[in-house]
Amino acid sequence: MVNPSSSGPRPTGAIRRLVTVAVSFACIALGTACSPSPDKTGTGNGAKVRRIAVIPKGTTHEFWKSIHAGALAAGRELGVEVLWQGPIKEDDRNAQIDVVESFLAKKVDGIVIAPLDDKALARPLREASEAGIPVVIIDSDVAWDGRKSFIATDNYKGGALCADALATKLGGKGKVAMLRYIEGSASTEKRERGFLEGMANNHPDIKIVSSNQRGGATTASAVSASETLLGRFGDLQGVFCPNESVTFGMLRALQDSGKAGSIVLVGFDASPKLVEGLAKREIEALAIQDPVKMGELGVRRIVDVLEGRDVPARIDTGVTLVTADSMKEPANARLLDPDLSILDK
Amino acid sequence: MHVITLRAQGIAKHFGVVRALDGVDFDVHGGEVHALLGENGAGKSTLLSVLAGVHAPTAGSIEFDGEPYAPRNPLDAVRAGIVTIHQELCSSPDLTVEQNIVLGREPRVRRRGLRALVDRARVRELAEQALERIGASVAPTARVADLGPSERQLVEIARALAFDVRVLVLDEPTSSLTAVEVERLFAVLESLRADGRAIVYVSHFLEEVMLIADRFTVLRDGRTVGSGKVAGAEIGGIVELMAGRRLDEVYPPKRERARSDGSSIVFDVREVVGKSLPREARFSLGRGEILGVFGLVGAGRTELLRALIGLDPARRRIISVSSDRDVLLGGGPREALAHGIGFASEDRKDEGLALDLTIAQNITLSGLERHARFGFVRSSSVREASERCADAFDVRRASTEQAVGRLSGGNQQKVALARLLHEEANVWLLDEPTRGIDVASKSEIYRRIHSLANDGASFVVVSSYVPELLGICDRIAVMHRGVLAQSRAACDWTEHELIEVAARGVDRRAVQDRASEVDQ
Amino acid sequence: MTSGSILRALRPCIGLAIVLTVFALHPQAEGFLSVFNFKIVANQTVIVGLAAIGATFVIVSGGIDLSVGSIIALSSVVCALVLRAEYGVTLAMVSAIIAGCVCGLVNGLMITMLRIAPFVATLGMLGIARGAAKWISGEQKVDVPPAALESGGLQAWMSNRPDPEWLWFSPGVWTTILLALIAAYVLRRSVFGIHVTAIGSNEKTARLCGIRIERTKIAIYSIAGACAGLAGFMLCARLTVGNPTAALGKELDVIAAVVIGGASLAGGQGGVLGSMLGALMMAFLASGCKMTGSATYVQEILIGTIIVVAVSVDVLQRRRA
Repeated sequence: MVNPSSSGPRPTGAIRRLVTVAVSFACIALGTACSPSPDKTGTGNGAKVRRIAVIPKGTTHEFWKSIHAGALAAGRELGVEVLWQGPIKEDDRNAQIDVVESFLAKKVDGIVIAPLDDKALARPLREASEAGIPVVIIDSDVAWDGRKSFIATDNYKGGALCADALATKLGGKGKVAMLRYIEGSASTEKRERGFLEGMANNHPDIKIVSSNQRGGATTASAVSASETLLGRFGDLQGVFCPNESVTFGMLRALQDSGKAGSIVLVGFDASPKLVEGLAKREIEALAIQDPVKMGELGVRRIVDVLEGRDVPARIDTGVTLVTADSMKEPANARLLDPDLSILDK
Repeated sequence: MHVITLRAQGIAKHFGVVRALDGVDFDVHGGEVHALLGENGAGKSTLLSVLAGVHAPTAGSIEFDGEPYAPRNPLDAVRAGIVTIHQELCSSPDLTVEQNIVLGREPRVRRRGLRALVDRARVRELAEQALERIGASVAPTARVADLGPSERQLVEIARALAFDVRVLVLDEPTSSLTAVEVERLFAVLESLRADGRAIVYVSHFLEEVMLIADRFTVLRDGRTVGSGKVAGAEIGGIVELMAGRRLDEVYPPKRERARSDGSSIVFDVREVVGKSLPREARFSLGRGEILGVFGLVGAGRTELLRALIGLDPARRRIISVSSDRDVLLGGGPREALAHGIGFASEDRKDEGLALDLTIAQNITLSGLERHARFGFVRSSSVREASERCADAFDVRRASTEQAVGRLSGGNQQKVALARLLHEEANVWLLDEPTRGIDVASKSEIYRRIHSLANDGASFVVVSSYVPELLGICDRIAVMHRGVLAQSRAACDWTEHELIEVAARGVDRRAVQDRASEVDQ
Repeated sequence: MTSGSILRALRPCIGLAIVLTVFALHPQAEGFLSVFNFKIVANQTVIVGLAAIGATFVIVSGGIDLSVGSIIALSSVVCALVLRAEYGVTLAMVSAIIAGCVCGLVNGLMITMLRIAPFVATLGMLGIARGAAKWISGEQKVDVPPAALESGGLQAWMSNRPDPEWLWFSPGVWTTILLALIAAYVLRRSVFGIHVTAIGSNEKTARLCGIRIERTKIAIYSIAGACAGLAGFMLCARLTVGNPTAALGKELDVIAAVVIGGASLAGGQGGVLGSMLGALMMAFLASGCKMTGSATYVQEILIGTIIVVAVSVDVLQRRRA
């Protein structure tokens, strides 16, 4: 029989080891993570640097990297510190609220955010505003009128633009489909609505055979949804996709089925792969936003607010429709391949 | 002829402050069977672990075949030719016999580029060779899960032979075997001995040891306390050496009691038929009576008890628990418990006890409601009851809050039995109640069973160990191929006769007579 | 209590202390140790914490529940739909709990009646509940109508500034604490709780001892479902939206919290309070990582590492004991 008390001292040793291991782990991990530490500019003689939180919907999409670059550039120019933090799970509203709340606890000077949900983010943003932290919204709107400014693409207009481009290419008649993004994303829903209403109002001979399927949050889910759609409607002549991941998923599915180029694809947003598809004329046209400008204006307007200047309630950063023929023009080239070098510094 | 020798000197193994081994000298030569004896906790298992490369000794040295032997892991030991076959056979049940035999050293296809594949023809050949050498009639393609314990053991021995074993270590090899299977095992061991291989034989069954072993070594409290030739030694002397004190007889004195008359029958099994086993069984148990059930492995003894308690579904089950009314037990153990029928499993580690739970929890698990008020358990009440039951079985413990897994085998078994006491069972169904436990614990359990029987409790004891049945039971019945024959008074049986009946199955007529009486 | 079990209970405390210390000392995490941040983190723990109460019972019984995330989503949608139909917050909460409980009940029935392994049965429910959530919501998030959000309404349950002020924590946090204390007592002291532990420790023994295993398991999974349902209500209160795609993968956070809290996936070990500390530790870690501006992947790697370290320390302790 073993006396239980005899086992006392040994596990204590194990605990001590655990402490050592865990502490070192944590230090190492945090140390490496912080080495490319948030951008600090103008930390001259101890003047308090303003800290602006910029909160995207996610961190891995090309689009958000462009916004990051724009925000950093503006921050550097204006001498404010830009804190960039996305939700740990993309398209998780709860996780984005967590991020807002920790910036609240950290007492940043201003928040620039692309809300994942127009309703869910209202409460935490209102709490921020009540705590004296001004909020500027970028990309998608929120159902709360306390925001200082809303800086975004006019997505409805962008969708209508895409409808025109697709209809023109098809000569005003034919069967087209629209593959939606996820449920509850305000910006893509506006594009979708703009596209559908644009078609209905201006191109009555175009038949929309499917508009209720969704590509989902990831590229992988977009590819399989696209495959299903293409398989179901064999006589499809054109497709519209309302964001980068769905457009890419559709492009991949078209390439795999050998229909790339023969089915007219009009997409939204840019990434290297999509630009490549555009150059090969596998994509007819891409509606390009200006995320760099969005990030930049977000930081600029929040600084304006902090310094007591008036800011417009609504700023449209514009949509440009780029085709294979127009993609080489310098203004379009900058939109298609934004300069992200600032992120590597 | 070169005779190999394994010699361990001054072996010590400390786990923290616990001295599991503290100066063991032990040697075994090729061509002999050396019995390693000792009560549970004497250090046998630790010594085997050291030999098998599981633990490195704290002090001392081992020499094997003239060379220092210090295995760093179990594979080292197997490579050196020292193979241990454990009490809990550790073959992979989902693999076939031949796959088990070559496991870990599968012959590969010799063709280039195909070396990742197993050479199945060669596997068959190796397996058949090994099985043939021990005369085992087991199909190489049979799944090990479908084999009985004795066949599994033969597969393990065949596996050792395929590894070219030089020292074969057997830990309690006969504890789940019937007498016939033990004889077959002994024949295999004889041939291995004649082959010049060394055999280390660990067993509680001293009678067997006297039969098979050439020499013996006795351990007590981690030390070698005696060794010698088996020829000329006496069991009594060895038992005393193991216990370190004079033991009275292992079995309690014979009980003076008459064959129960009909009026005091407390448990009358009119009929019980399981899904496959048992096929036919009827018996009655008087107040304070102890009925022994003997039979080969696979005869259906365990299944009989499990069907009675409702652990396995039964096709038909008519039992009367008191003389006045029939009870059709349809439910599970819960219903049986409510009628005062208790059951102790043969497999205390896997079924009988929850090893992570405390002694108190294990004892009171089947009757927690009794200690509860509004669904919440009163710990003082649990403690009191478990202390009382543990004391009754003399469970050696630091406290009843100790995890059962840390107790010795004998004390674990006592906890399993103490649960039935807590259940206030008046019919105790005990399946192999003393399997793999030390002599002293056995003796205590026997005495406790007798005193409970004297107080009016009735017992059905299933055992593979004939002397035990003869030693403690009032009556003994033999089970053969699912049919329980009529019982006879224990004093009317001899050991030889029991084994005969178990293997051949007689007394069949007597059963049929009674059957026609009951059927209407 | 033996010294071993005290150590087991201490482990998540030590882990939490380490996380707090590291971030308190970190130069970039100002505001981390503030009272306000503690309130925020407590609020952020509620959803995982509530689900972990039920999951503790499941894991201690030797089972697993993979459907937690989907059940949270489903019941958040149910809650929003009930509110949209103007039935009031109390009924919305009850409906969310019932929705979760029904899912758990189905889990339990599949496991006991159909004899499907818990992993597979709850994997099935993971899909079923998620699909059902999308179905009843019409594949749209369901906005809670403004009437239900007025003062004292739905939002009050998870507000960082509770009303009245002296509550200090949101009612959601208090609910979690209260439920955790009750559940801890039930698991340790009630006949049901000890039967749960016995089933997880050795199901065969439990059967032999006449414990009603089927009934107990059905109860366990129903409780787990009800807890997830309540978590779904809290999520709806926090988001003011019933979202069918919410809490994706949350079941793994919940299992991680329970395991960090000292439970063994083999069953028989673990406690509710440990699980709560595990959940709190993960929430503080997430909060700290955000405050120090670490990339999200750092947080993911750290949580993964902590799970492995916590479990390996447990294995080490057991081997030595």
